[in-house]
Amino acid sequence: MAENSPDLGGKIGYVVLGATKAEDGTRSVSYRLGGESDLPFIGMKTSLGSIPLVAFEICDDPSYWSPIVTSYTGDLVSDTPEWATAAEQQYGADLVRLYLTSTKRRGFDDFPSITKVTEDVLSGTGLPLVVEGSNEPAIDSEIFQRCGEAGQGERLLLGTAEAGRYRSVAAAAMAYNHSMVAQSPIDINLAKQLNILLREIGVKADHIMIDPYTGSLGYGFEYSYSVMERIRYAALKGDTDLAMPMIASAMDSLSVKEVREADPVIRDDIAVAWEFYAALSSAVAGASIVCVRHPKTVPLLKLAFRELWAGKKPGEF
Amino acid sequence: MPSITFLPSYRKITVEPGSTILDAIQRAQIQMNVVCGGQGKCGKCIVYIKNGSVEFDREKFGKFFTADELGQGACLACQAVVRDDLHVMIPDSSLIQQQKILMESLGIETPFQPSVWKYYVELSPPTLEDPSPDLTRLVWGIQKQGGPLAEKMYAPLDVLRGMPRVLRDSGWRVTATLALVPGGYRIIDIEKGDTRKELYGVAIDLGTTTVVAYIRSLVDGHVVGIASNYNRQISCGEDILSRVNFARKNGLPKLQALAAESINLAITTAANGAGIDREDIYEVVVAGNTIMTHILLGIDPAYMIEEPYVPVVRRYLTTAAPRLGIEVAKDASVFLFPAVSDFIGGDIIADILASGMGERDEISLLVDIGTNFEVVLGNRDWMFSCAGAAGPALEGGEVLFGMRANPGAIERITIDPVTLEPQYQTINSIKPMGICGSGLIDLLADLLRACVVDRTGRINTEIIHPRIRQGVHFPEYVIAWKQESGNNKDIVITENDIKNLIMSKASVLAACITLMKQAGITRNELSTIYFSGAFGNYIHKENAIMIGLIPEVPIEQIRNIGNGAVEGANMALINRKKRKTLDEIAKNIAYIELNAESSFMDEYTGSSFLPHTDLSLFPRVQKMLDECRLKKIPPGVP
Repeated sequence: MAENSPDLGGKIGYVVLGATKAEDGTRSVSYRLGGESDLPFIGMKTSLGSIPLVAFEICDDPSYWSPIVTSYTGDLVSDTPEWATAAEQQYGADLVRLYLTSTKRRGFDDFPSITKVTEDVLSGTGLPLVVEGSNEPAIDSEIFQRCGEAGQGERLLLGTAEAGRYRSVAAAAMAYNHSMVAQSPIDINLAKQLNILLREIGVKADHIMIDPYTGSLGYGFEYSYSVMERIRYAALKGDTDLAMPMIASAMDSLSVKEVREADPVIRDDIAVAWEFYAALSSAVAGASIVCVRHPKTVPLLKLAFRELWAGKKPGEF
Repeated sequence: MPSITFLPSYRKITVEPGSTILDAIQRAQIQMNVVCGGQGKCGKCIVYIKNGSVEFDREKFGKFFTADELGQGACLACQAVVRDDLHVMIPDSSLIQQQKILMESLGIETPFQPSVWKYYVELSPPTLEDPSPDLTRLVWGIQKQGGPLAEKMYAPLDVLRGMPRVLRDSGWRVTATLALVPGGYRIIDIEKGDTRKELYGVAIDLGTTTVVAYIRSLVDGHVVGIASNYNRQISCGEDILSRVNFARKNGLPKLQALAAESINLAITTAANGAGIDREDIYEVVVAGNTIMTHILLGIDPAYMIEEPYVPVVRRYLTTAAPRLGIEVAKDASVFLFPAVSDFIGGDIIADILASGMGERDEISLLVDIGTNFEVVLGNRDWMFSCAGAAGPALEGGEVLFGMRANPGAIERITIDPVTLEPQYQTINSIKPMGICGSGLIDLLADLLRACVVDRTGRINTEIIHPRIRQGVHFPEYVIAWKQESGNNKDIVITENDIKNLIMSKASVLAACITLMKQAGITRNELSTIYFSGAFGNYIHKENAIMIGLIPEVPIEQIRNIGNGAVEGANMALINRKKRKTLDEIAKNIAYIELNAESSFMDEYTGSSFLPHTDLSLFPRVQKMLDECRLKKIPPGVP
């Protein structure tokens, strides 16, 4: 296989998430993602990049969360910091991704709670943190400002910038030296456009992770796969506007009909299977971070990645 | 029957109850602006009911009016149904205005080789000793004057019937007009006396919107008169598709007649201006798009707009002027340009002829932009072409304050990158009413330079400036305040306008890039980019590149051929040899169906950005943008 590997010349840039004490933060670990110079599993002669990381997704208002997860997890979901602790200690995740779902409430204006929950989650876990802010232009600026400030020094990953609204996320990320998620709707050109927009307002390439948007298996995932492959291939051929590590979330998996309507007895297994395969496929397509919501999916993915990436530890090259 | 009085002209007309006001307006031969062909979609045919009432759905079409306008009785002429007597006020803005039409030429020299000639002969009358027939006498006389061989000439029956009278009445001094036809020369006219100087031909551009006529002397090839007017078919729908639909509803004879009428009007105006007689025009050359050509010939165009999109005829055609209703010399012939496909018509072949790109080794790109656009790439050995819909944005449609290039349209604009204050120039230097295509391109380029919009065209509302504000539906930039405008409204460009504009320009650029990729040509291999059409003549070239309307090449490699259709028609008129090459050109052009090209959509997304996602295609623009950005710290970023 190695002999057939084409020398494309390009290389994916690095993004660092989390800051340890030595790096003036409080995380127990930090990750350097990126560095790939081959398509995954095509060439082995050069670095395959880091073993994909598994992020566990939690939220600060579980009424907006999948009942599959909330009923499996129980009361824990109403204590966000405890939930984050469980993600690290019980489920074995590499990162925690916090969704500020409370901001979805109509007329949300409890901005101090954003600062508090971000700080509390940072205390609840030593893992690097991804924070997903609001989705409402009227409050975006304040929300991102708050979580950016609360995580100062921790090298968070802030999400999510889209072509229509990226200034607030970018402003907070740049002000507090965080990285950010740049999401575009399954299209290589749109992914590139957004990265150019970010670059042009001053966001450094090593502070951007591409979210190509991944659908669910059976519901158009093949488009995501193909776009991820094209993004990676373009980057390896030298397109620096696409040479960033990718993050993929399997979140849609829990809302597909096959999972929602599964026999309650086996519903968790079905949900886990659906998340697992979507996340695994994303990793094979080149994602550096895959995000899941069912606690049982995490150890399965970790095992699979360890086997596939031949015993590498997280962050190891 | 209800009678309608139109204000301010007090023109009166009666109509059947149940007709629309637009029907009445068209019957009264008032030239109304009907962009959508009367479907209630464009909101341009605004009239005010001053007396009486009509059936009009104010809910459904309310979006086109302010409450104030509705209060004054505003409605859409095409949607207002007449029941009783009415007084209807038609505002100037709803009428078709005098438009700036292009008439300059590129100035390529073409050898003068006409296909009609006049010969003056003084014949000896027949005698018992020399009883040869009139015709023999005439053709021998012509041959003696240096004309073609006598046996190569013939006269049609009509000419023969008039011959004995003319010869004898003139005392055997006549001028004969000959036309070159397959296999010989046809005598198409015999006139008394010496009329050799009165020999003219006319080149016509039969456009969907305008008709242009150039009358040339066929004695020396010089232009003697030029005129243009709207295509009168506009009253049956503004865009080409609505014309075809009109033709489908038994409207073909009317459209054909209107086409001929429009041509006749242009010829008459040009002839009157030059002080010549229409009857002295012996040759007509027409270049038009495929659908216009079909309609002029009275051929059903319906099959061109449905799958599999086939024209009835593609080759060039010659016919007699009277058969088409064109009023010139009665035996004059009409030459119609050939087409490549339903979308690449005689007008584009004429463009190619006018640019000379089909005669050179270097590779050129030709772009003709209107509501539809056509792109041709190639050289003397090969050519690729494609066509598509650019949407009306580049012509001022689908843009809130967009307008055609009429008086009051902002045609040039610059924005100070620091103060964000605009400076503009309007057509005829009157107060601004709106903004036309060339102004829109300037505006977009300068908004980008000033960092008011980002490269997706979104307005940065975080900039605190009185001209940047949240409009009713979209963020907007104020170009002209109410006090300075000609319509008492703030003239703005909205984010939605910009989106439409970018979609239009993206389809043109994507088409160019798709053709170039198909041919394996990079922008560095392009020797020239030709802009054809009125649009190309007025736009600022650097700004067209800045927004990515066309691929980036050095400015001096961009040339306007002006109205390439009429230019090409002129060439074919004065040089018959060019006509023979037309079928050859048409046959050699490969037509690329963009819809069938899987890469086109990708190119389109890549082009839906200012100027393009791949900046390596636009190195000069990239440099300019970097420089602009250095001068500005984008607001909103700490």
